[in-house]
Amino acid sequence: MFDSFLQGVELALRFDTMLYMSGGLFLGMFVGALPGFTTVMAMAILLPISFFLDPLLGIPFLLGVYKGGIYGGSIPAILVSMPGTGAAVATTFDGPALTKKGQGRKALEMALYASVSGDLTSDIFTIIAIGPIAAVALLLGPPELAAILLLALIVISATSSGVFVKGLLMLAAGLFLAMIGQDPIGALSRFSFGIPEIEAGIPLLPMLIGLFALPEIFVNIEKKASAVIDEKSLKVSGEPLRWHEFKASIRTIARSTMIGTSIGMIPGVGQVVAAFMGYAAAKSSSPTPEKYGKGELDGVAAAEAANNAVNGPTLVPLLTLGIPGDNLTVILGGAFIAQGMRPGPQLMQEQGPLVFAILVAMVIANILFLGIGKLCIPFFAKVVTIRKSFLLPLTLVFAFAGTWVFRGQPSDLAILVIFGAIGYLCKKLHFDVTPMAMGFILGPILEYSYGQSVILAQGELLKFIFIDRPITAVILVASPVVTFLMWRRSKRLQAEYNAGSE
Amino acid sequence: MVESQETTTGSNAGTWTWNFNTYAAVSFVILAVTIYFVIPYQIDKPFIVLGLSQSSLPPETFPQTIAICLLVLGIWFFFKSFSIDQVNELANLDREAWSNVTVTLIMMGIYVPLMVNLGFVVGSAIMIMAMSTYFGNRNYVVAGVLSIALPSLMYYIFRAQLASELPPFPIDIYPLTNWSLI
Repeated sequence: MFDSFLQGVELALRFDTMLYMSGGLFLGMFVGALPGFTTVMAMAILLPISFFLDPLLGIPFLLGVYKGGIYGGSIPAILVSMPGTGAAVATTFDGPALTKKGQGRKALEMALYASVSGDLTSDIFTIIAIGPIAAVALLLGPPELAAILLLALIVISATSSGVFVKGLLMLAAGLFLAMIGQDPIGALSRFSFGIPEIEAGIPLLPMLIGLFALPEIFVNIEKKASAVIDEKSLKVSGEPLRWHEFKASIRTIARSTMIGTSIGMIPGVGQVVAAFMGYAAAKSSSPTPEKYGKGELDGVAAAEAANNAVNGPTLVPLLTLGIPGDNLTVILGGAFIAQGMRPGPQLMQEQGPLVFAILVAMVIANILFLGIGKLCIPFFAKVVTIRKSFLLPLTLVFAFAGTWVFRGQPSDLAILVIFGAIGYLCKKLHFDVTPMAMGFILGPILEYSYGQSVILAQGELLKFIFIDRPITAVILVASPVVTFLMWRRSKRLQAEYNAGSE
Repeated sequence: MVESQETTTGSNAGTWTWNFNTYAAVSFVILAVTIYFVIPYQIDKPFIVLGLSQSSLPPETFPQTIAICLLVLGIWFFFKSFSIDQVNELANLDREAWSNVTVTLIMMGIYVPLMVNLGFVVGSAIMIMAMSTYFGNRNYVVAGVLSIALPSLMYYIFRAQLASELPPFPIDIYPLTNWSLI
């Protein structure tokens, strides 16, 4: 494993990798700084670019978009109290108050340094943790993998936003959509209804762009008039952040990093909750909690370190078990699959150096993140004023172009629009599309593992599971308990989030 | 991601009033029953050699399992729906939102043949101009420049840098077609 890591370091130190990562960071911050435009949308729309690049360029590019997008949301949150992304909502508690006091520059720099610190530490943790977890994952056979996948899918549905049964229904719908095309065991045609375009299955890319990007566009076009922002309020003014001010927040940043890192490992929770929990923990342990919400630099540091610390650890379940934990990692999973790197236990064994190279690139990205963030803060501050009447059609054109280049088939554009409409409908009716996308991606692997288990069982599945494969039996028996615990924890976090946002 | 605020007990609790979730539950039940009954017609039969099936697992097993899961979950959701208090945001959309979404969908529908027949750059330029004008832009010079420059840049990036194909400019194909006719 250590050899793979060393080879990975060698592979990652490429100029073009850093160039593409910088491009991704810039685009991510740009989109993140636009209120109403989410990191998920940016990643879904830019996903096709990664398909045509070398894995060591394409995946770091998307990771750059991911990291940049989470941070970018804090810029309008601090300057005009408009969070660019959900992850930056907790930043609005203290950021705008600091701007009003003439300390906008300090707040933006604190957000940047805290984000980079949180992200960097959690990325190093990811590199350390992934090796042992991958080694354990390699010991798993098809029955254990099938049981883990089943458990993960149910847990993700339980922890997705909204009502548990709605999450499970969306998961089942995703599993059904995954069955359209050829079955993974006998390559028999299923549910194609005589439509040649879907005989090989529903294409992943138009589905992902449709589900995650188009609904955001539809939500943004509901109102024609975009918010009018006073350009003067977007001026980055005041003194820069001093070392003693940053030093005073190091303890808070460390605490928030730990919170964000542990939340990143839990499927379905994400940056929003991490930011609120980091903020709440900082406030409760502060000797002056009354200052929070009135312009406290520590408050900005707490929220920003926590939300960025989620980024690295979300890759651990994805890369070791093939289980994406949230909508952002679903899209990243799609990028890995398109590159011929199916995430799962075998990935570290077959392409260990490449995986480590990508993880090392994430660490390097933080240094670039610091540089780009520091240089471009005034530019990103102005991004908020760009008119939506220009941005929305351009985003739409990008979504269509990205879908077209996938296979060059007009039918893919129809699939894009259909899934865009489904995604919008689901958004309005409180159905989370993430379990559906998870079911779609993991369905064939689940079915294949289940099929292999049946072959291994030689007709005696129950005896095989409960006597020959005790780990599988334990996972299956523990599934309802784990699901319940995760569901309860998710509801508690949701309650804390709701209380914090009021 | 935990972003929306929803409760499972509220104004609907204890009543049997049908709401949008109830209708959604019925739709899922209908979908499940439909899937279950089309399985025999929509799944190929496995090859049989010397009287033995070449598939170790009957191909209907997984689809039937999913259909039954959908049915059970749909029934659970049906009963649960009466106690879920959520706002139907689709019904709350005002006329402006409906018309904006409908117009955008129509523009998307028109954009596909435009892009395929006129090429990516020309089709996209028309779409960007039309959509930005509809959504309130009146600075036609900037819109005109952007609508040509940005699709051209995208076209260049995708074709030259990423070696992928977008529908070409008509000028790329028609003169060649004419020359080949000559």
